[in-house]
Amino acid sequence: MSLTTAKIISLLVTITGAVALLRGASFHWFNNHQGYAPAQPIAFSHKLHAGDNQIPCLYCHWAAEKSSVAGIPAASICMNCHSQIRKDAPEIQKIVRALKENRPIAWVRVHDLPDFTKFNHSRHVWAGIKCQQCHGPVETMERISQFRSLSMGMCVDCHRTHRVVTVDESGKPIITREPTREKLMASTDCSVCHH
Amino acid sequence: MNGEKLWKVFQRWEADAEAAAGDETSSPLPRAGMSRRTFIELIGFSAAALAFSSCRPPEQKIIPYLNQPVELTPGVANWYASTCGGCRAACGVLVKVRDGRPIKLEGNPQHPLTEGGLCAVAHAMVFDLYDAERLRQPMIGSQGADWEEVDRQIIETLTTIKQSGGAVRLLSSTINSPTSREVIARFLNQFADGRHIVYEPVSTAAISQAHQKTHGVAVVPNYRLDKARLIISFGADFLGTWLAPVQFTRQYARARNLQDGRREMLRHIQFESRLSLTGINADARVRVSPAEEIAALLLLAKRVAEKRFRHPPAELRSLDETQLPERVRDAVERAARQVWQWPGRSLVISGSNDVDVQCVVNFINHLTGAYGQTVDLRAPTNQNQASDGDMVQLVKEMNEGKIAALLMVGVNPAYDYYAREDFIRGLSNVPVKISFSPRRDETSALVDYICPHHHFLETWDDAEPVPGVFSLNQPTIAPLFQTRAYQESLLRWSGDERSYYEVLRQHWREHLFPRQNGTTNFDEFWDRSLQDGVVVLTSASASTTIPRFTADEVGAAVRRLRARSTEMAESLSVILYESVALRDGAHASNPWLHELPDPITKVTWDNYASLSPKLAEQWQLEEGRVIRLSKGEVSLELPVLIQPGQDDRTIAIALGYGRTKAGRGGSYVGVNAYPLVSFERGTFQYLTHGITIEKTPHRVEFASTQRHHTLDGRPLIKELTLAEYLAEDGDQDQQRARSWSIWEEYPYGEHKWAMVVDLNACTGCSACILSCQAENNVPVVGKDLVRERREMHWIRLDRYYRGEADDPTVSYLPVMCYQCDNASCESVCPVLATVHSSEGLNMQVYNRCVGTRYCENNCPYKVRRFNWFQYPHSDPIANLALNPDVTVRTRGVMEKCTFCIQRIEEAKIRARNEGRPLKDGEIQTACQQSCPAGAIIFGDLVDRQSRVARLRRDKRGYVLLEELNRRPNITYLARVRNREEA
Repeated sequence: MSLTTAKIISLLVTITGAVALLRGASFHWFNNHQGYAPAQPIAFSHKLHAGDNQIPCLYCHWAAEKSSVAGIPAASICMNCHSQIRKDAPEIQKIVRALKENRPIAWVRVHDLPDFTKFNHSRHVWAGIKCQQCHGPVETMERISQFRSLSMGMCVDCHRTHRVVTVDESGKPIITREPTREKLMASTDCSVCHH
Repeated sequence: MNGEKLWKVFQRWEADAEAAAGDETSSPLPRAGMSRRTFIELIGFSAAALAFSSCRPPEQKIIPYLNQPVELTPGVANWYASTCGGCRAACGVLVKVRDGRPIKLEGNPQHPLTEGGLCAVAHAMVFDLYDAERLRQPMIGSQGADWEEVDRQIIETLTTIKQSGGAVRLLSSTINSPTSREVIARFLNQFADGRHIVYEPVSTAAISQAHQKTHGVAVVPNYRLDKARLIISFGADFLGTWLAPVQFTRQYARARNLQDGRREMLRHIQFESRLSLTGINADARVRVSPAEEIAALLLLAKRVAEKRFRHPPAELRSLDETQLPERVRDAVERAARQVWQWPGRSLVISGSNDVDVQCVVNFINHLTGAYGQTVDLRAPTNQNQASDGDMVQLVKEMNEGKIAALLMVGVNPAYDYYAREDFIRGLSNVPVKISFSPRRDETSALVDYICPHHHFLETWDDAEPVPGVFSLNQPTIAPLFQTRAYQESLLRWSGDERSYYEVLRQHWREHLFPRQNGTTNFDEFWDRSLQDGVVVLTSASASTTIPRFTADEVGAAVRRLRARSTEMAESLSVILYESVALRDGAHASNPWLHELPDPITKVTWDNYASLSPKLAEQWQLEEGRVIRLSKGEVSLELPVLIQPGQDDRTIAIALGYGRTKAGRGGSYVGVNAYPLVSFERGTFQYLTHGITIEKTPHRVEFASTQRHHTLDGRPLIKELTLAEYLAEDGDQDQQRARSWSIWEEYPYGEHKWAMVVDLNACTGCSACILSCQAENNVPVVGKDLVRERREMHWIRLDRYYRGEADDPTVSYLPVMCYQCDNASCESVCPVLATVHSSEGLNMQVYNRCVGTRYCENNCPYKVRRFNWFQYPHSDPIANLALNPDVTVRTRGVMEKCTFCIQRIEEAKIRARNEGRPLKDGEIQTACQQSCPAGAIIFGDLVDRQSRVARLRRDKRGYVLLEELNRRPNITYLARVRNREEA
């Protein structure tokens, strides 16, 4: 086989691979993981828990109102209910086994911001932002997936609309971010998220 | 072909090319060749394929707890009160624990001695915790072993010694934990001849021996700088390294505080031959040779005695005053006069480890009425319990083969004992040698068993630095390696199966609980003490009367000192001192400490022979020239550093360098100067004579962070005397003429952050530099890159000499980013990576920065740091020390101080979540929190009543390079020297 053939073949392989990837459900442009829904070690259904059974988000993700991270619930939290309910279901048995063997469950991370971005859940929870505003209709998801882009544009769009700019007597702008009854106030300083 | 290779396309081509090689005529190219173009095409395809296949989120795992610990919220730091184990001062610390990892030490504001202050060494201790070179298991010889086997073998041998009645010695550094002392005593009681010997490489044994002679008690008193109005120090570096520098700095800064309209301040006179950190802070520094230092002390004693007695001791009366130069004599006369200005409120101290010198010091302090006031003998300090004679005796006995077993805790005599060969030879004569060192260092490499002790952040312990002040040390992380507390090892070998925690609680229940009357429930007392980290109890051991002074020994001491002073007068002296960063060398494996610039010389990663400009000129030595210093069989080769302000007959060398087994970071840095220490007159002497100097052809270049030494006439530092300060009346109008600016002023709404640095408080101790390094994930770059001016510290302490080169005044200026209103950096960034925040900060957005370095070039204050390289973050254990709230910067990114923006954001979020405004003082930057002098004040200018807003209006306030109209947001408060007016 000549070198030209080699080149043609490698080009074809590249293109075929690219097309296959682009059409595939798991393809995403760099750093945009919208729609990412990896298989989890336990087939946990948010639809069943948060949707059908109406368990509040903060019951399991209790850290969201206290901390920068929402936290993945510890196995002991699952067992608060499942020590009584559906104890013998095969998926529940996985949790029981993990506890018995003292082997933590390694969930696959879905929502992941870059390391240079610091997002604080508690501030947003206390400001009254609904979880669904960023995470989408989690209560309808069998398997959790990333609903929005979680890009900087998405964050800033919201932060921009949550501040008031007025002008004082001398014509200088006054930026107010103190929360008022009508409006939640957010900052657009870079250092709010990047430090 | 290996199907697992990533470069699939390339691989296929390789296979094809191999097939084609069989038929040379069919190949379009010669077999060996491939055009550059083809190569790039193929690489391009491969890269494209690789890029496509990698366009998928990297799978990351989140592993939650199985059982959620109640006290732990992921992402929120817990703070635990504890005790620092960095040195023997036992300062109170708060440990920041994030997701189970201690990542930062800060001062415990409730601690009665240190009050929230911390030194540079303490900040660096987090690095030691995550040092992958710590021993991971006990060792038998050089082989790793398990604890059962080690215990079995050691108990077996110790039982044999018990039966034979052999001598067992436990050699330790100062142990100020009462419970540990109890455990040690109980262990040693098993043996017919068991003794505990305390060894400190840098000892203050002379102070306790002198008190034995003059007061009948062998203790080091607690010096109360806070009660003093006048300190006369003879070479004691009490702000840098002597005894308990944090505690002293706190007291010193408070006694000199002029903030908020205070009008009185402590006066400090320093007689010294090398330029020390303490010396440069003095109101009057008198440069003397070591011989003159003794003579000056004697003259002071004479003057004080003349005032008190009609007939002062004969030895003093006949003192020849003319041998002192007039300059020094004058200074002593003035000091002697001032002693009576504040009766009982003066304090004379000496850094010498000579018993005679300390006897005379005690004599003066007795005459001035300092005992019971500024010198507390009733509650003496436990911070240095060295007993030099015992150590020398032990080495002698070891060499005579009289010691059956030697156990070593926290000591490294094979490195730092003055006659280390003797010690090593003696050690080989000891049949059973056990070390509790956490590392394989110079000494533990020679022992039979190493039973590695925990890092102090992993263990339980307590401390009693000063009688009545008890602090607890609690573990803040489970032991990273298979280490065991040495106390627990001793308990095991004493046949006690309890854990050290149980013993500690038992001790507190039996000995401390009865002394308090706050509660009747021990658990409540324990929990409260643990939460506070410190408990103050009335001292049971403290006697109510001050031991009586006897002057019997003073006459003889004076006589000997007079002879010695005359004999030393013309000879060259070598002074051995502890450096502020490395101290005695115990933490020399820590690169943070090596890279911390020396406060005065600004040299990193080295020690040197510093000598005065005059001496250098006389011997025709230039900076960096390596000289050989020889005394007897000892010979050291050290580079010369020319130090203005040093005495002309003195060479000063820092101890603590030249370790040979201090790991990757610390081995073979500098030269070990301990061999120049001598044992004379019952104590270790850090002053030596009879040195010969030889020039060598070698030269080295120091890794120095500051090469300019003078202000070149610019008004960067403002200083005034107390009289001048008091003469200026009222609040100075701070409305400075504001020059015209092309920039519009920023509208600040909610907050406007600013800082005030009180230069009158700043001593230059450099704790802020390492606090910042730990908080902000600042990398260490190493000696070569410091030489290329690429150090990364966000704070630097600029040091300037003024006046004569022989005897200059030295001033400090801590410089971090000024967050200018008219920032030069912001206007030149082409990608808007540095922009102004609505709260007055110059934000630095790492992910936007492309590394043009325009901002760095345009900054008049030179506070920006550029990541020239990808500094290593490959060690998974060392990475545990990183602060997750601060981005780790990569190569090609600019970085700088942003007033600890992560702390500002955290506090703002907390306040907003709780629906309240921020309180003044709620946000403390890392440098501010643990500044032992309280020199840094941070706050919000929008709040006109905030402390920072008030201090900015202080009449001492000024900003750096005001004429540039950058409008920096750090205001300096000018230093005031409390000089005696002529």
